[in-house]
This record gives sequence, structure tokens and C-alpha cells, in this order.
Amino acid sequence: MITLRDVCKAYGQFQVLSHCSTHVAKGEVVVVCGPSGSGKSTLIKTVNGLEPVNAGEIIIDGVSVTARGTNLSTLRARVGMVFQHFELFPHLSIIQNLMLAQVKVLKRTRPQAHKKGMALLDRVGLVAQAHKFPGQLSGGQQQRVAIARALAMDPVALLFDEPTSALDPEMINEVLDVMIELAREGMTMMVVTHEMGFARKVANRVIFMDRGEIVEDAEKNAFFDQPRSERAQQFLSKILVH
Amino acid sequence: MSYNWNWSIFFEPSLDGTHTYLTTLLWGAGWTLATAFAAFAIALSLGSVVGVARTAPQAWVRALSTCFVEVLRNVPLLVQMFLWYFVLPELLPDELGTWLKQLPDAQFYTAVVCLGCYHAARMAEVVRAGLQSLPGGQRMAGQALGLNLAQTYRYVLLPMAYRIVVPAITSEFLSCTKNTSVALAIGLMELTGSARAMQENSFQIFEAFSAATTLYLALNLIIIFAMRRVERLAVVPGYGTPQKAA
Amino acid sequence: MLNGFDLQVVINALPYLFMTGMAFTLTLTAFATLAGIAFGTLLAMMRLSRHRALAYMAAGYVNLLRSLPLVLVIFWFYFLVPYLAQWAMGASRPVRVDPFWSSVITFTLFEACYFCEIIRAGIQSLPKGQLLASQALGMHGGQSMLYVVLPQALRNMLPLMLTQTIILFQDTSLVYVLSITDFLGATAKVAQRDGRLLEMYIFAALVYFVISLLASHAARRLQRRVAIIR
Repeated sequence: MITLRDVCKAYGQFQVLSHCSTHVAKGEVVVVCGPSGSGKSTLIKTVNGLEPVNAGEIIIDGVSVTARGTNLSTLRARVGMVFQHFELFPHLSIIQNLMLAQVKVLKRTRPQAHKKGMALLDRVGLVAQAHKFPGQLSGGQQQRVAIARALAMDPVALLFDEPTSALDPEMINEVLDVMIELAREGMTMMVVTHEMGFARKVANRVIFMDRGEIVEDAEKNAFFDQPRSERAQQFLSKILVH
Repeated sequence: MSYNWNWSIFFEPSLDGTHTYLTTLLWGAGWTLATAFAAFAIALSLGSVVGVARTAPQAWVRALSTCFVEVLRNVPLLVQMFLWYFVLPELLPDELGTWLKQLPDAQFYTAVVCLGCYHAARMAEVVRAGLQSLPGGQRMAGQALGLNLAQTYRYVLLPMAYRIVVPAITSEFLSCTKNTSVALAIGLMELTGSARAMQENSFQIFEAFSAATTLYLALNLIIIFAMRRVERLAVVPGYGTPQKAA
Repeated sequence: MLNGFDLQVVINALPYLFMTGMAFTLTLTAFATLAGIAFGTLLAMMRLSRHRALAYMAAGYVNLLRSLPLVLVIFWFYFLVPYLAQWAMGASRPVRVDPFWSSVITFTLFEACYFCEIIRAGIQSLPKGQLLASQALGMHGGQSMLYVVLPQALRNMLPLMLTQTIILFQDTSLVYVLSITDFLGATAKVAQRDGRLLEMYIFAALVYFVISLLASHAARRLQRRVAIIR
């Protein structure tokens, strides 16, 4: 479904990503973790072309993201993305947030888009908030709306960029529950997160990044039980102590 | 002070013989408003285009729009007025130049275009500031949903940017209204020009300028009052209160 | 009609344009800036003062002048100043005032309102905690203003003050409406005398542009240098 081959990216002298390669199969859930500044957020943004790369190739569902002439907008419409800071559009009501791209990009009629939007709000338990504005919702609610907004496009895969790290602790679980359910339904997901509990529960594989490199790319159990690299061991010991 | 006040001067006929001084002043205020509205319509639309261009991904688009802004901001308005009124017809082919010079109300059109461009440069900076005050993730979120660049600006970035800069738009509009007075130098009979003409013809200096001052204050109040309503319409529920946990 | 650009006209006029015109413009800008900042500071202090009457008076003055076009204010003071001088000096008839000093007074009184708002915003933009912290250290009002608030606020306002000075420099061209020979006035006189509007006005635009552009670049550089890292 998602293939990265030798992806490199640099800001001037600073190498953000060096020779990153991996593959996410259909229905697979892959968690990307690593210390801050390791390049994991940049990596996931390269997948749908939000961050351009200097070298390498990225292919989603048979379409190259990196090739010249690819219509990135069409491609992005098929890959959902959920951001750390939600990035709901503050001037639109919740249901309008869900409808905008359906109408403007997928050319659905407004009644169709509305119906789909309400169904998804029902799914994340926020039908009652449909006509409120993003600023009137809690962080956890906003992130659930953001997930619903991504799902409204009927994506072939979902990308999550630290979806819970801007949330107050008591709101993390309501978002994770939605994500776990999606994973169990067989959604292809690539998730940048520090939530190792989530990884243990639903991930198929874990990718560990440090200093712009993919240091480890292993089956979930192999990664947690016996990480091969020293850096991954240190990272896990720091993160799992508490 | 040895000054002879004569407030009844307003009801005496002005030099044209038919209208009173008061009527000529009110006409002046009318020209001021007409010029300000027309010029600001240009300023808003052209300024939005240039402001968006200032944040465009293409370097040459940014450079071009920066030039526009820098040139129009660094030449005094009065000099620009002279360039549009005296110099532009000389630069054009003969027939076109003559046509421009003989246009009825040429001063009005010149003032509108000149003020429109001048304030467009300033509006461009306002729009750019609004766009840049938005979190970078908004642009990404729009694009991640498959919106193209134009759609992202149209549906995601600009609606929010405009709302944020409504107060700045208000003050630009006020400043545009005041700046119409510069057009008296090319002979537009706007409010200050009418007051000046009244002062020269009737020698009642302070009555003329007091009346103009009162009318400007009234215009200001009307604009501020109208823009308050716009500001209320622009309020986004829940926005402006702490929204992000980061 | 376009007879080609006659550079010689401009070159011949250069001494007059700069020695008379630009000299007037620059001295007027300098005087009005200094006096405007001084009066503007006073107005800002009044606006921030605890005495309601002072605050209202200053606010009324600032808001009145900021709602009027500069051209109208120029006319007002041009005619008002002789009467004020008569009143101040007890003369029997309105006193003739030199156009230069009349302009200095006008621009000082007008631009002071804009400087006042810059200074007020600069002081108010400081976090309240700074004032509390200095009071917690035992400083009294004047001391915390002098040692804590102003040093920080001044840095914040310096770039804006420079920008305002550039605006003032451009605004002085409006004394043209009184037929005063500032830089633009001088240019216009030559333009009309020689019938060379094209050359003279383009040259004037160019000179204003270069000076303002250089000054605003300097202001931007200064802004980076004095910025407080937080």
C-alpha cells in the first residue's frame, strides 16, 4: 500500500531523513516512534507529499508521490491525515469541516456530504456537536472530529502525526479508542506516536527512528521483547520506566 | 483673538452663485465618500491578490509582489498622484493620452486609481500578516484533504485571515478616507478642497475648516460604526480563547 | 507628448532641488520627529496616567487629530498659528509666522499623536509580571518605569518609531498645498517653469523611493539587532 525507497531530505546542511525505506501492507498498522527531532514527523509528512523530498521514491497504492506530474491533490484526497494540533478549520462548524473537501474535492453533493459527515460524527460520538465550532470543543473532541474528517474522504490509508501529544492526559484515551477500532476494522495506518500501549495493542510492526534514520523496523513483539539496537533499547527503557 | 466669526456664511451663496457654501461642503463630503469607496474596493481586491502572492510558494511571484508593495509604500502619495495625473498621459500613445486628459471627471478617476493602488500595497501587507498569523498546519491540513493551492487559500486560509485582520481593514479604510484629501492637489473638489475653496472665497477661514472637521468626524464615526457590525459578523465562536494544548 | 527623457533638465535643477528643497524637507523631518517624540511621550504619559482628566484630555486630542486628514490639519494650523502667536505675544494683529516654523509646529502637533500611540502600545505590551516583579523587589513606580519598563518598551518601539519617521518624511511633501518649497515643491516649480513634468516628477519619485527604501532597510536591520530574545 505504502512504499518508501531510499527517501532523503535535508534542510541545507542538516540531514533530516537519510535513506529511509519501508513498506506498509494493506490492512497493516505501523507505529513510528523515536526521540524528538528524530525525523519521524517529517517522514510521515513526506508520505503524502506535504514535505518534498530530495531523493528517493514514495509509492501509495501504485501511484508515485515523488514522480513529476503526479497530481498530488488527487492523491492526497485518497490518503487521510490527522495532525498533532488537529488543524480543524476554525471558521467552519464541525459538520462544515467534514463536508468541505467532500464537496470541493470529491464533488459530492451537499446532501451526500452532509449524510456521510453525520454518519461519521455518530461513529466518533459527536453528533450533538455537529453545529458547534472547533474552538468550542475540547482537544479530545477536536481530534475525534479530525479523524472523522479524514475518514469522510474514504481514504485507502490513514496517516497520524502524533495525534495525542497535544492532548491533556484525560483525553488521550477517547482518541486512542477510535484509532484502535479503526485498526481492528482493517484500516491501513501509519502512526507516529509515543503511546506504546497503543502500539502493543494493535500495531503489526514498529519502526524506530533516530537522527533521520530508520534504526529498527521490526514485528511488534520482536521490537518490544528484544530490540536489536542499543539506541532503541535506551529509548524503550526511558519511555517504559514510568 | 481678532477674528470676525460669521456662522451664517454657510447659508450664503457660494462663488458658483447657485448653491450655498453648506451645499458645496456636503457635495465635497460626497466626493470624499465616493472616492474612498471606489478606491478601497480596488485596494481590497488588488491588495488580496498581492497579499496572497506574497505568501505564494513560487519565489518569482513573491519577488514581483514584494516589488509592487515596496514601490508603492516608499513614494509619497502626493507624488504618486502627480505621476498618475501628469506623467501617465505623457507616457501613453498620443491618442490614449489625450483621451485620458479630456476625460470628464479625470481627477476623480485618477484619484480612485491612485488611492486604490496605494492602499492595495498596504492591504497586501495586512492580508499577508493575516495569512502568516495562521498556524502552518492549516495549509497542510487543507492540502492533506486534497484541496489544491487555490482552494486551500479560498476555503481555508483567506476566510480566517480576513477575520483576523478586520480591525486592520477598518483602520486602512479610515486612512483611505482621509487620504482622499490629497487629491485636492490635482483639483478634485472633495471635502478638504471644498473647505479650502470656501476659505479662499469667503475669508471665513475657521468656519470653513470647523465644518470640514465636523464632517470628517461624522464620516469616521459612520465608518467605525459600520465596521463594528462587520467585526461582530466576523467573530468565530470559541476562537481567540486558548484553543491549543501545545 | 513624449519627447524623450531629458536628463539635462534634471541635472541643471539639482543644486536647487537639493540645497533648497531637500534641505527644507530633511530639517523639517528632523525637527518634527524630535519634537513629535517629545510631545508624543508627554501625551502617552497623560493617557496612561491615573488622573482621569489628563487621560481623557490626551485621548481626545489624539483621537481628534488622528481622524482628520493631514492636509486639513496643515490648513488649520497654517491659519491658526498666527492667531495663537498673537494671543501668546499679546500683539495687536495676527503675527506672521515663517512657513518653516509653521510647518514644524503643524507636523509636531500632528505626528505626536502617532508617536503617542506607538509609545503607549510599547509600554502596554510588556507583560504585567515585569511591573509586579520590579515592585516585588521594592522599586517604586518611577523606578520600575525607568529601569524595567522603559528599557524594554523602547526596544520594542524603536523600529516602529523609525517607520513613523519615514512616514513623516513622506508626509512632509504635503506642505506643497501651501506652495512651500520643500523637495516636492521645488521639483514642481522647476517642472512648471521648464514644462518638464515627466522628468521632474519621475525624478522626485525616485529620490523619495531610494531614501525611504534605504531607511526602512536600516530600520529592519536595527529591529533584528535590538530584539530581546525571550
